[in-house]
Amino acid sequence: MADLAIDVHALTKTYRTPFTRKKVEALRGVTFAVERGHIFGFVGPNGAGKTTTIRTLMGLIRPSAGSATLLGHPLGSRAARARVGFLPESPYFYDYLNVGELCDLAGRLFGLPPAVRKQRADALIEKLGLGRARGQSLKKFSKGMLQRAGLAQALMNDPELVVLDEPMSGLDPIGRKEVRDLILELRDQGKTVFFSTHILSDVEAITDRVAIVARGQLQAHGTPAELVSRSLQGVDVTVRLAAGEPAAALADGAHRVRRVGDELSLTLPADADVDAWLARAHAAGAKVVAVAPRHETLEDLFVRRVAGADRPASAGQAAP
Amino acid sequence: MTGRIWAIALNTFREAARIRVLYGIGVLVLGSNLLALVLAQLSLNEPGRVARDVGLAGISLFGSLTAILLGVFLLYTEVARRTIHAIVAKPISRWEFVVGKYAGMAVVLSVLVAVFGLAMVAMLALQGTGLSSGLAKALVLSWFEVLTVAAIAIFFSSFSTPFLSGIFALATWVIGRLAPDLEATTQQASPVIRVTTKIALEIVPDVHLFAISGRSLDGAAVSVHADFVPWSYVALACGHGLGWIIALVAFAALLFHRRDFV
Repeated sequence: MADLAIDVHALTKTYRTPFTRKKVEALRGVTFAVERGHIFGFVGPNGAGKTTTIRTLMGLIRPSAGSATLLGHPLGSRAARARVGFLPESPYFYDYLNVGELCDLAGRLFGLPPAVRKQRADALIEKLGLGRARGQSLKKFSKGMLQRAGLAQALMNDPELVVLDEPMSGLDPIGRKEVRDLILELRDQGKTVFFSTHILSDVEAITDRVAIVARGQLQAHGTPAELVSRSLQGVDVTVRLAAGEPAAALADGAHRVRRVGDELSLTLPADADVDAWLARAHAAGAKVVAVAPRHETLEDLFVRRVAGADRPASAGQAAP
Repeated sequence: MTGRIWAIALNTFREAARIRVLYGIGVLVLGSNLLALVLAQLSLNEPGRVARDVGLAGISLFGSLTAILLGVFLLYTEVARRTIHAIVAKPISRWEFVVGKYAGMAVVLSVLVAVFGLAMVAMLALQGTGLSSGLAKALVLSWFEVLTVAAIAIFFSSFSTPFLSGIFALATWVIGRLAPDLEATTQQASPVIRVTTKIALEIVPDVHLFAISGRSLDGAAVSVHADFVPWSYVALACGHGLGWIIALVAFAALLFHRRDFV
């Protein structure tokens, strides 16, 4: 247990609507653990309960039931919050401050002495590429710059655990890569990073473990390699058709069929006779461009689990 | 603890200093001082008395309205704009946050009352009226009235919208200000009205204690122009206000402590 940065057990949050007092179950018994030194991706569709989980962990929301610890301390503990850095979803900061003042405010709340505050703020502002915008008020910042300012204030206490709610949201591809690199760098420094995202390629690229949440319940939890099936899901084939050759005959029985100009891409079922299909394509005058085995991706798993969670019959089933 | 409260207070001061309405209120106070000068010239007797009365009324009225404005907005907007999310996730207690917000507001209001007071003193100097200890006492009482009204506003703001908080705070201030008159008026009313008024007066801060000039105190008329209250009265009234401030901010912190920030 000592090696767990986050330990969540049967976390439940139920709201009541303002007038009708109708119950809304935002979290339904979410249980997972994050080991120290890991990058943990928390993925799910909109309204799945990702942000509610994170806000509960950060003490912004009180759980209706269940428990959790951060760095071995119970939820809401000041000792834990002193060692955690937090970037909220779509961060809103005091727009009259500049990034240096924002970092200074964060440093004051962490109880850092003035010299340390200045030194860390300077280093983080430069590292996150905000040096040239240092004098500008946050009001003038783009969404990507605000996200980076939010990361700077989150890292002011040199945290052991970094919790990032949608850190790639609103960033362009370069910005996303920079955040990915920063997360990897934080892990290399021995920190634990817990982040939520919709962007599955980011999760696959950098996480040690992943949890998929949908409709307030955990749908899957493990390493990306454990979660996705290693068995063959099909064979992706791309061929260049002879002029005027119709694709219909070759597409029979295949799925994900797509034709762009004279190039036809499709996926043959895992049990299809690929040699026989290729022979047929040759006979029809087509030239083979690419043949590749298709394994399940995190996106496939995500779609399967989330779709499963959305079916009424599966609602209420516990995560495996 | 004090470092965290001071950090929030400093930030609140910065935020409040950017509210343009405050500068508008400042202009109104200067305007009321100019009006006091004009009215003093028009008065047949005691121009100094008119100038002092209008000036003090301006400080009390505009100071209290500013306190309501700041009190109902500054805490609420932290939640509405979600700026509070990055703050309460840090090692700061929610009560420290509420106290910090109040402290920041108190600093802003103190600066405003000081500026209003200086403007009034300048106006009185122009008009040829000197300073007196009565005026200093009246200014201290006005200052505590404004601080108490800010605490009333922040209390309502901890669980209500700015609109409703504004109405509640304004009503509490008006009832508290008119308490002796309301009590006297309802003496001959039906028992229901009398009891209701009594209960209402018991649960609102006695803001009228801060506006004592022109009233009867222990059977003697007191006036900022002549026989005004002793410093011991000022200390007691401020102590009363301080008690309400502590209670209201504590209740606000308690209510804030139980809130979910979704």
